[in-house]
Amino acid sequence: MDNALDAWFVREILVHEAALVQFLRRSWPQADEVHDLRQEVYVRVYEAAAKALPQQPKSFLFATTRHLMTDRLRRGRVVSIEPAGDFESLNVLVDEVSPEHRLGARQILKRLAEALDRLPERCREIVWLRRVEELPQKEVAARLGISEKAVEKQIAKGMRLLAEHYHGHAAPESVGKASRRAAGMRDRETQ
Amino acid sequence: MSETSRQIEHDAAAWLARRDGGDWSAADAVALETWLAASTARKVAFLRLEAAWMQSGRLKALGAGLAVGELPDRGRWTQNLFDLRSTQGHDETGDVPVHDHAPEIARAIAGARTRALRAQGGRAWLAAAALVVATLALAWGWQRHERVEPLAYRTAVGDLRNIALADGSAATLSSDSAIDVALSRNERHIELTRGEAYFEVAKDAARPFAVQAGDSRIVAVGTRFAVRREGDDVRVVVTEGIVRLESAPVDGRSQPVTLLPAGSTALANRSGVLVRTGSALDAERTLDWRRGYIVFLDTPLAVAVAEFNRYNTRPLVIGDATAAQLRVGGSFRWSNAEVFANLLEQALPVRAEREAERIVLYSR
Repeated sequence: MDNALDAWFVREILVHEAALVQFLRRSWPQADEVHDLRQEVYVRVYEAAAKALPQQPKSFLFATTRHLMTDRLRRGRVVSIEPAGDFESLNVLVDEVSPEHRLGARQILKRLAEALDRLPERCREIVWLRRVEELPQKEVAARLGISEKAVEKQIAKGMRLLAEHYHGHAAPESVGKASRRAAGMRDRETQ
Repeated sequence: MSETSRQIEHDAAAWLARRDGGDWSAADAVALETWLAASTARKVAFLRLEAAWMQSGRLKALGAGLAVGELPDRGRWTQNLFDLRSTQGHDETGDVPVHDHAPEIARAIAGARTRALRAQGGRAWLAAAALVVATLALAWGWQRHERVEPLAYRTAVGDLRNIALADGSAATLSSDSAIDVALSRNERHIELTRGEAYFEVAKDAARPFAVQAGDSRIVAVGTRFAVRREGDDVRVVVTEGIVRLESAPVDGRSQPVTLLPAGSTALANRSGVLVRTGSALDAERTLDWRRGYIVFLDTPLAVAVAEFNRYNTRPLVIGDATAAQLRVGGSFRWSNAEVFANLLEQALPVRAEREAERIVLYSR
């Protein structure tokens, strides 16, 4: 981590990714735009925090998310959605002292192990060699008889998929329509 | 913004993977900085991946007890390595058991409840139905956990006991010690409630062997190690293989998992974990109590005496500060404090006063 702002961002904002993604999936009809929305939320929060750190990071994160969705609606990028303009009532419970911060080492390891197990076969094997057996990429390539470039590509893929599960771990699904939509999306994402 | 978020994420991962690959020059670092500086979107995408990748270094702990190059099947640890109370693993068929859903359902209920309230009770039935489902799910999940009555073993002061466990492992219980053993389908769980015990673990990759000692948890797959409790301190000595030491969070902050290879002696308490690495032979020597000896190497007399008292009902007592600081070495039969006192009188400037209940050592 480069500096205090980056560390703050990881510690205070990224820990809420699961809740954020769940909220987005529930509120936003286009499931394929959730990834993009998530990133834009992060950009806004990071840029605001660079000027002044929000006192209540989680509330700030969700307020930013609501504003962003409203902005997008106004820009007319979305034609029709059921809960239009009703983001306030889709309120998530914002509790600043949420248990996300108190994750024990065992729970972190468990989440990582689950993330590892969700990787595609080749990718899982390569991440295992790199992360568990701590072989340099070069040796992983030699061990598997593939090019270093191929290993690097798999590592990059592993990084993306691990991050997806580590930060956005098993976002709980809500009841009703939104959950079916979200479930469909999740299936696509894990492939 | 011309780049899509997925494109940015791909690029960020490519940078990170390249940096992870080694051959990383100063020019590369500058190029990455330039790339990052172009937009906040790139910056946050990179940060997010980097944070998860750094955390993934903890995966190393999964290799404990496994042979190099051995890649276990999926779901191994999710079903086994984690605390039974929070187990949310996959079962053998690969299905996600109901247990996995219990917390999600609980959260769903919370959500359903708030919505139902908003609808002024109109959809209260939904919450009620969800509650019933969740209760059933929890009940089922609970039953799926084989409940095993633990077997309790203990020793009196001065006793040593060898115990053959049903899974083929062996435990040696030191003087004045106690363990509770619960061998379930998913885990071999041992609770060290007092004293010290040495374990020779039969290899069973599907059922990790976990010793809980106070706030510390020591996990092995097939290896030999000893765990000792003294107040809040937990000492772990590993003589073969690797074990994983997990400590309970301190002040809400999670403690890193420590891997202990053969030869390590770890001391864990609320301030953290300290590991001393030596040869497996050294580690073995500190466990000589199993053969009836305790070994001292330039040990302050006060410490040696405390060690002796673990095994004897007639305690040795230090009479003055000078005596406490004398240093002793050698290996002694722990069963006889009287003989130890005799030896001390011959070799050190010490005088022993033998009382009915205790032996007091004074400097002379």
